Amino acid sequence: MASQPLTSSMQPTDVYGGDEVSAIILDPGFSSVRAGFAGEDTPKSFYTSYYGVAGDRTIFSDEDIHNPLIKDLEIRNPMSKDGVVEDWDAATQLWEYAITSRLTKFKQGDPRTNGLNDKDADVEMDAAEDEEKPLEEHPLLMTETAWNSSKNREKSIEIAMENWGCPAFWLARNSVMAAFGAGRATALVIDLGASTASVMCIHDGLILKKSVQKSNVAGNWVSSQVRSLFNNSEPKVELIPHYMISAKTPVDAGAPAQATFQNFDHKISDSFRALEEERVISEFKESVVQVYNGPNRLNSTHPSGIPNIENVKAMPGRVFEFPDGSNQMWGADRMSVVEGMWDERAALPVAGEPALTKAQTIPEMVKASISGVDMDLRAALLQNVVVTGGTTLLQGFTDRLHNEMVNMYPGARIKIQAAGLTTERRFGSWVGGSILGSLGTFHQMWISRKEYEEFGASVVDKRCK
Amino acid sequence: MTSHDVRDMLDLPQEGTPRPTKKQKLNGPRPVLKGLAREVQNLGGDNPIAIVPEVTVFKKRRFATRKPAAKWDARPFKNSARQDGLILRHWRRKDDKPAAPTVDGEGEEKKVEEIEDSTFAKYNVQVNIPDYTDEEYNLRLQNQEWTKHETDYLFSLCREYDLRFPVIWDRYEYEPPIPQPSEGDAAENAGALIVPPKTRTVEDMKARYYSVAATVMALRKPPIKMNSAEFNLHEVMLNFNPAQETARKKFAETAFHRTKDEAAEEQSLLLELKRIMARADKLGEERRELYARLEAPPSNGNIAPYTTSQGLAQLVSQLASADRSKKHRKSLMGGETMSPATGPNTSTQQPYDRRESSVRESISGPSGLNNKKGSSQNPTERRQLTEEEERIYGVSRHDRIGTSGPAFRQEKILKPLQSKSAVQQQKITNVLNELGIPYSASTRLIMPTAEVGEGFDALLHSINNLLDARKLVDKLQGEIATAKAVRAERERVERERGEGGAEVKREEGVGIAESRKRSASVMSAASDRSGKRLKK
Ligand SMILES: Nc1ncnc2c1ncn2[C@@H]1O[C@H](COP(=O)(O)OP(=O)(O)OP(=O)(O)O)[C@@H](O)[C@H]1O
Ligand SMILES: [Mg+2]
Repeated sequence: MASQPLTSSMQPTDVYGGDEVSAIILDPGFSSVRAGFAGEDTPKSFYTSYYGVAGDRTIFSDEDIHNPLIKDLEIRNPMSKDGVVEDWDAATQLWEYAITSRLTKFKQGDPRTNGLNDKDADVEMDAAEDEEKPLEEHPLLMTETAWNSSKNREKSIEIAMENWGCPAFWLARNSVMAAFGAGRATALVIDLGASTASVMCIHDGLILKKSVQKSNVAGNWVSSQVRSLFNNSEPKVELIPHYMISAKTPVDAGAPAQATFQNFDHKISDSFRALEEERVISEFKESVVQVYNGPNRLNSTHPSGIPNIENVKAMPGRVFEFPDGSNQMWGADRMSVVEGMWDERAALPVAGEPALTKAQTIPEMVKASISGVDMDLRAALLQNVVVTGGTTLLQGFTDRLHNEMVNMYPGARIKIQAAGLTTERRFGSWVGGSILGSLGTFHQMWISRKEYEEFGASVVDKRCK
Repeated sequence: MTSHDVRDMLDLPQEGTPRPTKKQKLNGPRPVLKGLAREVQNLGGDNPIAIVPEVTVFKKRRFATRKPAAKWDARPFKNSARQDGLILRHWRRKDDKPAAPTVDGEGEEKKVEEIEDSTFAKYNVQVNIPDYTDEEYNLRLQNQEWTKHETDYLFSLCREYDLRFPVIWDRYEYEPPIPQPSEGDAAENAGALIVPPKTRTVEDMKARYYSVAATVMALRKPPIKMNSAEFNLHEVMLNFNPAQETARKKFAETAFHRTKDEAAEEQSLLLELKRIMARADKLGEERRELYARLEAPPSNGNIAPYTTSQGLAQLVSQLASADRSKKHRKSLMGGETMSPATGPNTSTQQPYDRRESSVRESISGPSGLNNKKGSSQNPTERRQLTEEEERIYGVSRHDRIGTSGPAFRQEKILKPLQSKSAVQQQKITNVLNELGIPYSASTRLIMPTAEVGEGFDALLHSINNLLDARKLVDKLQGEIATAKAVRAERERVERERGEGGAEVKREEGVGIAESRKRSASVMSAASDRSGKRLKK
C-alpha cells in the first residue's frame, strides 16, 4: 500500500524541472538517424543513415535497403566523411521519414508531392502548402557536430521551419548533448561515432572551440582496418556477405568454406555489396575485436622483458564464423586491428588512404584538447571524461582510455564516465537532447517561428552558440 | 517414514531417549487444516513437511475505485522570460481547471488572455553587467592597452556568455574595425589571415573587465554609500591582480605537467608530511601529558622517598605497572624504540630511489634531526648538540651523580628553602613577595632554567643574609634598649639612695640577667611583629 505509485498528475514536475511540450529530438549521424520524443530514454525511431536509390525511386526503410532483389539498387549516405550533411535533399527526406514513420502522424499525401518520391511535381506545390506539415505541433531539437558550417546550420532551421512547420527549433552540439546525457555540464567529451572521432571540452554547456579535435579513427576506420586485416591474413579471408549465400555446411576452423552461392539475374551494385559487407564487419567488430588494455601499449615490452604481444598471443582467441560457414580463431590480431587508435605506428596500412598521423590518435587528441583550455578548468575536465558513440563500445576501450590518460596526466585525478548500457552509449547525444528538450527552463531558449521570420535563418548562429 | 522405523532399521533401542517435549511443541502451533491440505500434512507423520504457505493475492488489483479515466488536455502556455510570446503546449489534467471552454466562438480570445505562464520563467536570471556611456569612457575608462572598440567587444562577450571567462577567452576573436566595409562579407577569411593585434590572456580580459566594472560601479554609487555586499564586490574587483593570477596559473600548469616520477615523488612527500604531522601531534600530546604530570600538586607533602635514585626508580616501576595498558605511556618511557626507522610506513618507502631520500633529508632540517638513514643504521646514535645549543637547553655535565641521585631542577631549587623551618620559609616567602616575585611553596618557577635556578639560589642566599642581618639588628637594638633601661634604672636608684649598698648591687646583677633573658623573648616577638608588618 505504501508503494502506491504517484499518479502522473501529482508527479512533482517542479522538482525534476521537467515540463514536456512534445518536443522531438533528432540526432542524425553518419551511421544512423535517431529521433524520438523529449523526455523518453531511448529514441523511438532509429534508422540507418544509408538509403537506397533504385532508378527514380528512393528507398528508406531498413528492410528494403538490404534487399538484393531490387534492381539497380544503389546505396548512398547523405552525410559526408566528416559527419556533416552533404546531400540536403536526401537528408531532409530521410529525417522526415524517420520522424513521420514512428513519431508523428504519417499523412500519406499525394505520392507525387509527399517528398518520398521524385520531385518533379512543382505544379502541385501550392496544394502541398495547405497541407498539414509533419511537425506543426512539435518543437524540434536537432543535434549537429561541433564543426558544422554556418551554411549547414541555417539550412537546418530552414528545413525545420519551412518544410516541417515547427513552432520552435533549436540546434545543439552533439558532444554537449552527450555531456548532458551523462549528467555533466562541464566535461571532456570523447565521441567515437562511425565517421569521426572527436574530443572536446565543454564548459557550462558551451563548447570551448579551441579544444575541438577530430580525426577519422572511428567506426569506419576500424572497419577499414578489419578489411585490411582480412586481406593480409594467411590465407586471405574472402568477405562474402549474407545475401550471396544460399546454403552452407559447417566446416572445421580454418577449413575452406563449403557454401553454395545465390545467383542474381541482375547486377548487384558495388555500394550495395559494400553495405552488406559492412554488416559482416560490424558483427566482427562487436564480437571479436578487442582493445588491448594491459599495461602500456600492445607493441611495447612488459617490464618483465616479454613483449606485450606475446602475452596477448598466449591468451585464448575468439572464433568468428563468416556467412559462408568458414570460421577461424582470432588471436592477437583482434587487438592489433584497433591499436592504431592509440599508437599510429601500429595502424595497419590501408590501400589508398594516407597513413595515420600521431595527431590523429586518441591520446594526442585528448592532449591537444586539454591544452587548448584554461588551466583552471583542466582538473575538473579530467574528472568528468564522458565517453560516447558506438565505437567506444569496443571491448576494453574505456580501460585503455583510462590507462592512457593516467599515463599522460599522472598527477591528475581522472574519472571516466561511460554509460554502461549499450543504448545509452550509442544514443548518448540523443539522450542528452531528450533531457534538455524536456526541461521547463529550456522553453525560453527555443528559437520560435516568429523569431525566425523576423531575423531570418541567421538567427541560429546568434542563438545556438 | 517415522523415527520409529529408522530406529528399527538401525537396531537402536526403542525409544532410548523419549522426546515428549518436542512432540508437544510440534503439535502446538500446527495450523488447523482442512481437506486435502490436512491429508498432505499428515503424510509427514511426526516429521511434518515444510509447506510454504500459499499466497493467493500476489498484488492487489488497483481498480478499487471505478472512477472514469482522468481527462487530459494539451494546454497552451507562455513563458514570460521570452519576448516573442511563443506559445507551447503541455499536457495537464483537465479537472485542474474547471469549466472547460465549450463555446468556441468567443472563447478564442478569452483563452489567449488566460493563458498561464510557465512556472519556470522565474528561473530566468541575468548577470548584471555594467554599462558605460561614451562620456564616462572618455573621462574615466581610457586605457593604453585597450581601445574603446575592443572594450565594447569584450563587454558584449561578457554579456553573451554571462561572465564565463574561460568561454569568453575561447571565443574571443576581436578584429579591429577595418576601413573597407566590402571586406565584411569575407570577415571569416580576414580574421584568419590578419593576425589579431594582441592575443589577450584570460587575465588581461579579467583585469580590464574588473577595472571598468569597478570604476563604473563607483561612478554610479560612491563607495561610502554602497552596502556591504556591493562594497565587497567593488573591493574584490578593484584588487584583482593579473600578475599574481598569471603566476598562479603558471605554477598550476607546471604542476599539471608533472612526469610520472615527479608525481610519485610528490605522493611520497605528501605521505611523509602526513607522517611528520602525525608525529608532531603525538609529540605534543606526550609533552602535554608530561606537563600535566609535573603540574600535579605536590600536596601529598612528603616527597623525601623519591629524592633518591632508588626512590625514583621505585616510583617509575610503580607507575609503569599502574598503567601498563596505556601504550603511549610506554612510548614515553622508551622513546628510543620509537625511532622513525621502525615506523609503520617504512616498508612502503623502500622502492623509491635515492633522489627522494635526499629530498627527505632536506626537509627534516639541516641538523639532521630525525635523519632516517642515520637512525636506521644505528638506532642508538644520538645527535650531538653544539655548544650554543647546550647553553640554550641548559645541558650540564657531571662526572658523577651526587649521593642524592638525579632530581628535577625544580626540586633542587626548592631544596634550600624546604630544608628551612616553617617560620623561616614563611619569612623568605614574605621577602620574595615583597620583591614582586610571586612565590609560594605550592607554585613553581615559571621558567626554571639553570640560569634562573642559579639566580634564584643567589637571591635566596641574599635573602638569608638579609634576614640574618635583620635578626642581628633587632638583637642589637634590643640590647641597646635594655642597656638604656638598665642605666636609667641605675641612675634612678643612685639618686634615691646616694650611699648605695653592695647588697643591692648584687641583687641588681641578678635583675639584669633576668631582664636580659626576658629581652630575648621580647626581641623575637618584635621581629615576629616586624615580619608580620612586612607581610602586609
Ligand atoms: N558493440 C560495438 N562494438 C564496436 N563498434 C560498434 C559497436 N556498436 C556500434 N559500433 C560502431 O559504432 C559506429 C556507430 O556509432 P554511432 O551511432 O555513435 O555513430 P554516428 O553518430 O551515427 O556517427 P557519427 O558520429 O560519425 O556521425 C558504427 O561504426 C558501428 O560499427
Ligand atoms: Mg555521433
